[in-house]
Amino acid sequence: MEEMKSISLTQQFISVLWPSFAMAIVASGVFFSAFDPRDLIPYNLDIDISPLAAYSIGFLLFWLLCILSSWGTLYFAISNCRLTARHNP
Amino acid sequence: MAQQAEVPLQSLYEAHKKIYPREIGGRFTRLRMLSVVVLLGIYYIMPLVQWDGRQAILFDLPARKFYLFGLTLWPQDFIYLAALLILAGLSLFFFTALIGRVWCGYACPQTVWTEAYLWMERKIEGKRGSRMKLDKAPMSGAKFRTKLLKHTVWIAFSLWTGFTFVAYFTPIRELGNNLVTLSLGPWETFWILFYGFATYGNAGFMREQVCKYMCPYARFQSAMFDADTLIVAYHPERGEPRGSRRRGVEPQSVGLGDCIDCNVCVQVCPTGIDIRDGLQYECIACSACIDACDEIMDKMNYPRGLVRYTTENSAEGKKQHIVRPRILVYATILLTLCGLLLTNLAQRIPLDLDVIRDRNSLYRETRDGLIENVYTLKILNMDDQSHRYELRAEGIDGLRLQLDEPDIRVAAGSVAELVARIQADELNLEDRSVEVRFYLQALDANHLSVVEEARFVGPGRL
Ligand code: SF4
Ligand code: SF4
Repeated sequence: MEEMKSISLTQQFISVLWPSFAMAIVASGVFFSAFDPRDLIPYNLDIDISPLAAYSIGFLLFWLLCILSSWGTLYFAISNCRLTARHNP
Repeated sequence: MAQQAEVPLQSLYEAHKKIYPREIGGRFTRLRMLSVVVLLGIYYIMPLVQWDGRQAILFDLPARKFYLFGLTLWPQDFIYLAALLILAGLSLFFFTALIGRVWCGYACPQTVWTEAYLWMERKIEGKRGSRMKLDKAPMSGAKFRTKLLKHTVWIAFSLWTGFTFVAYFTPIRELGNNLVTLSLGPWETFWILFYGFATYGNAGFMREQVCKYMCPYARFQSAMFDADTLIVAYHPERGEPRGSRRRGVEPQSVGLGDCIDCNVCVQVCPTGIDIRDGLQYECIACSACIDACDEIMDKMNYPRGLVRYTTENSAEGKKQHIVRPRILVYATILLTLCGLLLTNLAQRIPLDLDVIRDRNSLYRETRDGLIENVYTLKILNMDDQSHRYELRAEGIDGLRLQLDEPDIRVAAGSVAELVARIQADELNLEDRSVEVRFYLQALDANHLSVVEEARFVGPGRL
């Protein structure tokens, strides 16, 4: 995609990774103050996991979700730009 | 390795040129360095500070508690932390309106760590000129050694930074112990490396690009600015027309302004802009250019202040207002919220009661013909001392409360579960389901009391 190229790849990476990182912090803060990860693991699963590991995995999952959302926004913004450019040359 | 590390710079944001801020002294620089040392000092030393036999500031993840000196916050108190963050954001608004981007120049972690990494770079690679020469020079044994040394020092400092970060979540003694015995857990290691790497990248390489491209505050700070906000500005009427001249020459005699066009103000600027072009969003108000120009003015025997802290109004010779509607509004909101938070914290009752009705049966009939409901009570003692409590229930005439353990004791900072039964005469039940209230009162502290509501279910009137 031409427009994708006009924004450097690093710039794209940062504009996806960075806001999602910040939002993941907020999301994990709210989520984990309401839920204790120990209560979230089903009883029948015999998982022994340290609290730090549980919170870390939770945070990384939130980050992943936010990355998907940020990436979607970036993707549509750029491809819409391209469409508009094609319709109004 | 040194070569590789240099690569991202060229490819980051388009047309990026590496900036080599020139070293400089002066009053504002001294103030800034003081701020850097104090803030970094707080960050690195704080985990070592003990309070009441535990770490003074600690997010205790396994226990789900946040220790802040004498205060212990539970997940239920999340709202306080959120309020604190909102307060921090609001004070940023207030101070930005009043004194501009001082946050950026003096206190932002990005600035503070960048200054620290720049300082290391200067100690190892030398002054601005030698740094530029070194980067231009082809790779040689000496260059490789200098770069290797710089990155080793940077990485060591980054790892220490990452270690300190994790020490806010795992007690530093335990963490230090794990480190020296090489038994750090995988996630501890991960976060040390993650935070260390982020610091290394942001303070070593990204630097002003973080301010320019990644910082949301830099983008919207202009919304808080007005003509009375303190800014760093050049005095064009006095400086122009700029031009070089020998020392001791009176500017008027050669038809020039006071600016000798030495470019020192540009060379010292960590964001690489020219303050003489006017207020720009890249300017982090670090005041390095003020110190730089003052030094030049002193050398030329011209009065200081060609580049200075001023406001748009006073630069244009208009009246300056410190108190103005915007400031009043921000201040009122800030003070109100502060007051609310403080009174709330002061009135916070470190006791919580949760009542859960037994889900297996709606009710049962006792031998003496009473209707009985069973509840599980969770008592959360968030205080630093253990307490004994008394439990009462109200809501139905002549109800009886039975506890499986009449002597209720809960240790400091823990949860106790007990089973309570309420028995009532069917004749006193006005409805199929009525409200009952549990009153929990600490026997040794009057202010520790809570009420919790629950439903009592009976057969209902036929
Ligand atoms: S223009 Fe001056 S105050 Fe602004 S960032 Fe550059 S050196 Fe600092
Ligand atoms: S440091 Fe002062 S004199 Fe030198 S170029 Fe900048 S404004 Fe002019």
